[in-house]
Order: sequence, then structure tokens, then C-alpha cells
Amino acid sequence: MKETRAPAPSRSRYLASGPVVWVATFVCTTLLLLALKQALWLVVPFLMAIILYYVLFPAVRYVTLKGVDRETAAAIVAGATLVIGIAALVPTLPWLAAQAVSGQEAVFRYLAGGRLLVERSLAMLESQLAFLRELDFHAEMSQRMSDFSGTYLKEHIAGALLAVAAWLPAMLLAPFLAFFFLRDGRRFLKYLAEAVPNAYFERTLYMIDRVDATARAYFQGLMKLTLIDTVCLAIGLAAIGMPSAFGLGLMSAVLAWVPFIGSVIACVIVVLVAATDFPTTPWVVYAAITLFLVVRLLDDFVFMPLTVGRSLHMHPLPTVLFIFLGGAVAGVPGLILVLPLAGVVMVVAGTIGGIVNDPRLGARHAFAKKLHAQRITADLQA
Amino acid sequence: MLSFFQARNETPRLRTLRQLALFSTLSRLELRVVDALLHERRFLKGEIIFDEGEEGQALHVVIAGRVLICRQGDPVNGRVTEIDAGVAFGELALLENAPRALQARAEEDSVLASLSRGDLESLLVTHAVVASKILLQLARQLGRQLRARADAERRAL
Repeated sequence: MKETRAPAPSRSRYLASGPVVWVATFVCTTLLLLALKQALWLVVPFLMAIILYYVLFPAVRYVTLKGVDRETAAAIVAGATLVIGIAALVPTLPWLAAQAVSGQEAVFRYLAGGRLLVERSLAMLESQLAFLRELDFHAEMSQRMSDFSGTYLKEHIAGALLAVAAWLPAMLLAPFLAFFFLRDGRRFLKYLAEAVPNAYFERTLYMIDRVDATARAYFQGLMKLTLIDTVCLAIGLAAIGMPSAFGLGLMSAVLAWVPFIGSVIACVIVVLVAATDFPTTPWVVYAAITLFLVVRLLDDFVFMPLTVGRSLHMHPLPTVLFIFLGGAVAGVPGLILVLPLAGVVMVVAGTIGGIVNDPRLGARHAFAKKLHAQRITADLQA
Repeated sequence: MLSFFQARNETPRLRTLRQLALFSTLSRLELRVVDALLHERRFLKGEIIFDEGEEGQALHVVIAGRVLICRQGDPVNGRVTEIDAGVAFGELALLENAPRALQARAEEDSVLASLSRGDLESLLVTHAVVASKILLQLARQLGRQLRARADAERRAL
């Protein structure tokens, strides 16, 4: 069942634009990112819950049409997803446990493989370029890499693994939040609309619809992009003979949720794996790098415009500015969240700007209040 | 098997909605889908529901009361029609994606059920049968209004 409904192509007259709205959008996005940074333990499960919500929403609607009320439909879909998730997880548990035990060893093994690759490449460069030989570039770089992997990484990898373990209980919130979004999301929006005076009612409907359409198009587009990236990378990695091609492809596609740096990190990880598993065949490493570059180009020029790009209708310049803002204010979670957040804030700021710029709405609201006051004081006046 | 979960009795709210011409052809289950999308609004006598030239974002059905459709700011001499309980209005702005052609005011204290443009479009994608039943009822209502207008003009001649 198709659910994604792209935002209306023509810009509504309800949406104000201009420097004030843009400044308000930047300021509000920054403040929200700062607030999110303070509650990061909640933001990540919340983000996962929103993604789950938009992925499962079409299924809930489908079940609703079969004659089940919304609450029961949400319970059925959430329950079925949980069962499928457990059924998929159970067979992989022994493998996951084995990976967890040997995880740190594997990290250092792959780092050693990567270091070997870099050293070989540097040695080759030094043999070709006289000025590098004079600088003793190879030895200098080897020493620095040794220091980096010997002390810095050992300290920080253990810390990072502990942080991930500490976050796992919070991640259990995601399915619960998603279930309540599915069950009560529509009711919440209705309550929100009910709280708005009659004069602003249609504008509020418009805003709710645009916010929902923007977020839905973004997150469903993100899921489609992840699927496309996973398939492309898995096929490419399998073609060049890499082990665990699907797993690496999926990991790289998920890392690509972080703009710019995600793809670079994924590429480095795959190169480390290739350098370790194929130490004598460097062409596998070069093929993996080429594959990532090709998929990155396809992402930027074909896949993203067809999926995520349709959701925000934002000029590339503010898009890049928002990404820098997100990274500077809230780090990696900020990089992931800033675009959908800015898209939603832009719709809300534009709608509020439109209301402020329309004195007729204020006059209608004042008139309605006057009518109401007359009604409740009618007997007093008599 | 899914019918096991269905509520056996129609609630008063669903009975009210079924009495509205727009939703009279919907089954109980379809009515529940629509009910989840409807917003109930209450207007005092004289209150403006929408202005001429506004961008229409919802169609409204009068559950109770009466609504006056008139030229902007001229409810006395500019009266065009009155909308009684059970009848929908404001649909043209949605169907044609055009600004509101006239002003709507509550002629009595009124209760309206409003369906947003977004929800109607969403219904067309996800619940095509429900949407087509609603749109068919809207087409019938427009046909009736057109015939009534033609009869009135003929009589005037």
C-alpha cells in the first residue's frame, strides 16, 4: 500500500516566507537542537520510534480498513513486528554473542590490517617520490599511527563500547514510543486542532498536514534510500568478493544517515575489512573505494533527489548551513536530526508568519470572542 | 477472523455521522475510518467560518444548526444560499484547488464536522473505496444544487 504523499508542489499562500521566517527557523532549530542535546538519551530512541512509526503506519491503516479499530490495529501491527523481530533475532543470537566476545580483538585485527595497507602504500610512495624519502615520511607516519592505535584507540574504544551498552536500555523505549504514536498519534493531532480558535482552524489543519507530510516523506524516503544503498553496496561488495557483503552494505547504508561523515566512516570500515581479509590483493581495496565513490555519486545525484530530497524542498545552501549547525550544536545526533527538524520548523514558522501577517484572522478571532462574551453575559445585561 | 475485534454496536456518534448525506453510503467500518479524521467545530451565531478568497483547507458538513453562504461582508443583501444540517459545503475550494468563492457564516449556533484537504487526499490513496463513496455523494450534492439553481433561474425568467 502506498502511503507517502509528497508535499504539495505549489507553495501555499498560507506559508509566509522572507528573512524574518528564515531567521526564526534558524533560531528555533538551534534552540531545539540545544534542548535535544540535553536529553540525548531520549532523542535517539525517539528518533528510532519516529522511523518505526512511519514504517509501520501503512500496515496499521491497512488493518484498520479490514474492520479493526485504531487501537487494536496498532496492537496487532506492533505485536506482529515484535514477533518477527524476535524470530529474526533468535537465530542470530549465537553469532552476535560470539561477535561481542571477540569484538575488541576483531577491531584491533582490522585496524592492524588497515595499518599494514597504509604502511605498504607509504613505502610504495616513498620508493617513487624522492622528497618523501628525504623527509623519512614512512617512518614518521608509522610512529604516529602506532601511537594512535596503541594508546588513543584502546582508551576510547572501550569507552565507546561501554557508552553503547549504557544506551541499550534507553533504546528499549523506541518500540513502546512507536506503539503509542501509532495508537494515539491521530488523537493527539485532533486534540491539538481542537485547542485552536475557529479563526485559525484551517491554518492549523494546513500546518499539521504539512508537518506530517514533511516528516513522513523524509523518514520514509530515508528508509527507501537505506534499502537502495544496502542493495547497491551488497551487490557491489559481493561482486568484488568481500565477505559479509550484505552486513557491510547495511551498516554502510545506516551510517549514511549521518550526512557527509557517515559515508566516509563506512568506507574506512570496509577498506579496513578488505585490507585485513585480502592482504595480498590490494585491488580489492581499490575496488571497494571505487564502489563507495560510485554509490555516493548515485546517492547525491539520483537516489537522494528521488527519495529524501523530495521531502524538504530546501535550497542546497541552507541545507548545508543547517548540517553544519546541527553538527556544531549537537554533534552526530544533530547531524542526523537537523534536516527533518529544520523542515518541520520551517513549516511551523512559515504558518505562524502567515497568521501574523494576516490581520483579518486576528479580527475574526476578536469578533468571535466578542460574540462569546455577549453570550455569556446576555442575562447579566438583561 | 478480524471481525472478532469489531465493535458490535454503532455508537451515537456514528449514528449522527450516518445521518449526514455525505457519509450515508459508508459502512460502519468505513464510517469509523472517517470519524477518526473528522474535526468537530462549534460556531456561534454570526461567527465567520471562512472568508471569500481564503485558501480552502477543509470541507465542512453541518451536523447541527444552519450556515449562510454570502458575498464577502454582505450577509443581508449578498445572501447566496443557506446550508442546513446534513449538507456539506466548502468542497469546491478543495476539488478545484481554488480560493473560497464566497463567505460562510453561522446563521445559527452550529456544529460542523470538518475533513481536511490532507486527510481527503490521504483517503484517496489509502482508502480509495471510502474516498470514492464520499466524492460520489459530493457529486450528487453538486448536481442537486446545480439543478436547483437552474430551476430558480428558469422561474425567474
